Parts: sequence; structure tokens; C-alpha cells
Amino acid sequence: MTKPAVILVGADKGGVGKTTVSRALLDYLLAHNISVRAFDTESPRGTLKRFHPDITDVVDITSTSDQMKIFDTLASSESRITVIDIRAGLLSTTLRSLRDIGFLDAAAKTQLTFTVFHILGPSIASLEEISEAATFMDDAHYILVKNFINNTTFFEWDPATYNSYFKKIKDAHEITIPKLNEMACEQVELASVPYVSFVANKDAGGQAASFSFVLRGYVRHWLGNVWGEFDRVKLIDMVAADLQRKGAARQA
Amino acid sequence: MQRPTPAFIVTSSRPRVGKTLIARALIEYFCAQRRPVAAFDVNPDEFKLIDYLPAYTAAASLNDIRGEMALFDQLVSGDGTAKVVDLGHVLFEKFFSIAQKIDFAAEVRRRSVVPMVLFVPDADDRARQGYAMLRDRFGTLPLVPVFNEAVPQIGRHIVNFPPTESGGMPIVIPALSGVLRSVIDKREFSFIAYAARTADTTSELYGWIRTTFLAFRELEMRLAAAEQARLAQPAARRLRHSA
Repeated sequence: MTKPAVILVGADKGGVGKTTVSRALLDYLLAHNISVRAFDTESPRGTLKRFHPDITDVVDITSTSDQMKIFDTLASSESRITVIDIRAGLLSTTLRSLRDIGFLDAAAKTQLTFTVFHILGPSIASLEEISEAATFMDDAHYILVKNFINNTTFFEWDPATYNSYFKKIKDAHEITIPKLNEMACEQVELASVPYVSFVANKDAGGQAASFSFVLRGYVRHWLGNVWGEFDRVKLIDMVAADLQRKGAARQA
Repeated sequence: MQRPTPAFIVTSSRPRVGKTLIARALIEYFCAQRRPVAAFDVNPDEFKLIDYLPAYTAAASLNDIRGEMALFDQLVSGDGTAKVVDLGHVLFEKFFSIAQKIDFAAEVRRRSVVPMVLFVPDADDRARQGYAMLRDRFGTLPLVPVFNEAVPQIGRHIVNFPPTESGGMPIVIPALSGVLRSVIDKREFSFIAYAARTADTTSELYGWIRTTFLAFRELEMRLAAAEQARLAQPAARRLRHSA
């Protein structure tokens, strides 16, 4: 029996590109023929759901009933991987809730796989977020994401200080999301389709669209770099090695 | 079967090798056959092609993404209108860097567009480097050296521009005498208008036009043959090739 995997994408600050990372992540998993479901915690109006409506539910992560909807179904869902796009400011709160409901203990007992994508902001306060998140990360894969998609610069950080925070966490990885051309970014937003659909020139209904070839080229190049980062940290091995093997066997 | 759309990129990594002259002649070659043609003048701060053939030519810029879209989105359009790009040496690197980034070569194959790069060299080593870069980075893009005999000492450097598998043998554009050169450099001069009105088909200029247009026809035949060979491949192999 395959272990369920939960991937949390969050930050304690808004506007750092959480949903961008979630979207690229869903595209990546689907491209590997891995069945995945997603929860968008931007309740009541989800952003992630706009791009991946078929596999995304909008939930209020602070409500017990919605927590049950997510976590009580981990083992029974057809999709063994669950991606949760955490609303701005709720990362630490969510991690605390997960500890309280025994989820982190289950991860410790290797009954499930838990991975956190922590999207960093440019300010020094982000380092404090790392420190806070670290207290919950004993048995999780922890991926720090430097997201440049919004033209963010991280120059405020002293590398030594950053490393002192980063190295507190066992099994921590760092990935970089490069900048995507603003117009390309904007057009994908307007199209409300997954990045892979935009690249393939398909609209939300799967019909041929007329997106600019240049913009599609930029998105393809950018998405390739993002997926390259996921490959570099061996994301599939972290969350779904056995699932991918089964998918490959099915395809063969 | 619909005829594929040709897209010729006339370029060089060196200035003053006759790119604009070749682009002008190419546009008029399509006009002579009453075929639709659209040209792009990609020479920053020095639009020349557009001065000669403003009815067919648009000034193109690579300064921002809007300019890139205006150029590349047209180039990959399989609308049956032949495209001619006069790409100056200043933007040579940038154009091909963008083309590689957005995977121009794969997209044109999907759209039934048959591109060909016509590289006009001179004796400078930077021309050799530019040609080598194209050959190395764009192996599937048909690349043809175009030796303009008006370029000094080019005959001694032909070895630096070997034929490519995808483009075939080089073509040669004959040099014109100084007087004729000054005639064709006039903005109002038209190759097809001259050929239509001249009674002397043995004149140097008439011969130049005939030789040059025949060379262009030869290039089109190469493209057509390559496209037919590609379409004759099993579908799975074509898909792998364009992925």
C-alpha cells in the first residue's frame, strides 16, 4: 500500500508567490502521471482553483470540518498526494494544528510523507519564519523556496545569518524560482489555465487557443527551469517514488 | 496539400555584407511570382529595407517583449505568406538567443512553416564564429551560407563556412559593377520593374537578377524537398523530432 503524501505550500507573508509554486507543482506532478488533489485555503474565493478546477477544492483550513475533509481522507482518496496551498499568514498556525491533531506524529511514524514548501519573502522577517517553522519540521521534508517571480531580491540577508537559520532544519533543501516575464505571467493569469495548457496553446476547455508563441516560449522556458529545480531536490523520490514506478509500469 | 510557408532569415554577424540587398531581392522574387510576402527589418536605429520596400516591410524591434511578439508570432504563422527577415549584425546574437529560448525551431515545424537562415559572411573571424554558433546551436534549422562576391576576399574564406546537412550547399550572389551598384541602391529601384521593361536580356543587371532569382528558387526547392522528406517519416518519429 502506497503511503499518502501531503505537500504544504505556504508562507507567513502574502504576495510571495505561493500559488505560483502550487500551480507549477501540480503541473509537475501531473506531468509525471501522478494523481494528485489540491486544497486551496483562500476561502471563500480560491485562486488555485481557478487554474486547476478539476482537482482543487476550496477549504477553510482553520475550520475543523474542513480539516477533517482533508486529513481524514488522506488514506481513502484515490489521489495519494495532497497539495495544500496555505493562505498567507497561516503557515505556522497550520503547522501547529497539524501537530495538535497528531498529523506530525503520523509522519514521524512514517505512516505518511510530509513535505513543506516554505516560500520566502525578501525581508529579514522571513528568517524568523524559518526559525518558527523549524520547530515542526523534525520528520518532514522542508524545502525553502526563493521566489524571484515577483522580481524579489534577497539582498537584505547576510548569508551567514541565513545559513544559521537554514541549517537548523534537518533534511532541508533550497530551491529558486526564476523570474517569469511580466507579460507572460499576466497572460497566463488572464487565460486562467495551468502553465502546461498555456504552453500547449490550449484554453480552459482543452480547445486550441491563440496565445502568443513568444509568451508560450517564455513560459515553457521558465517552467522547465522550475521543474529542473524540483528534479534537483528529487521531489518525486521524496513524495511519490513508488507511485511513479507504478505509473511507469502502467504506461509500459 | 497546402504549401508550407517559407520564412527566410537573411543575416550575418558582420555589417556591410549585403544582407539588405539580398532581402530586397528575395522580397521581389516572391512579388514576381505574385505570392504574398511580408518582411521585417530588424536593424536597430538603421531601418533600410523598410525604406526600399515600405509596402511589404515592417520595422521590428527586440527591445521588449511586445517587439519580440510582433516579430516571432508572425514568423511562426503558417498563413501562406512568405516571410523575409533582414536581421542586422547588432541583433544577431539576441535574435538567436530568443529563438533558442522560445524553441523557435520546434514551433515552426508544428505550424507548417519552413524556415531557412541565409548567412552572409565576410572575411572577418567574427563571421566564422557566428556561422559556427548557428550550426552548433540550431542543428535542425536549415542554414545556408550566401557568398556575396561583392564582399572583399570572401573567396579565400569559403572553407570557414562548410555546407550544412539541413541547408545544403552555399549559394553565390554575383558582384555588380560599381555603376550598376549605384543604380540598384536608389530607393525607387525595383528589380522586377527593371526586368519587365528591359529589352536586353544579356545585360549585366538582367543576368544578376536571373542568377539571383534562380538561386532563390533552388533554395525553395530544397525547403520543399526537406519538408516532403519530413512528412514522409513515420508520425511517431516526427513527433519525437519536434518535441
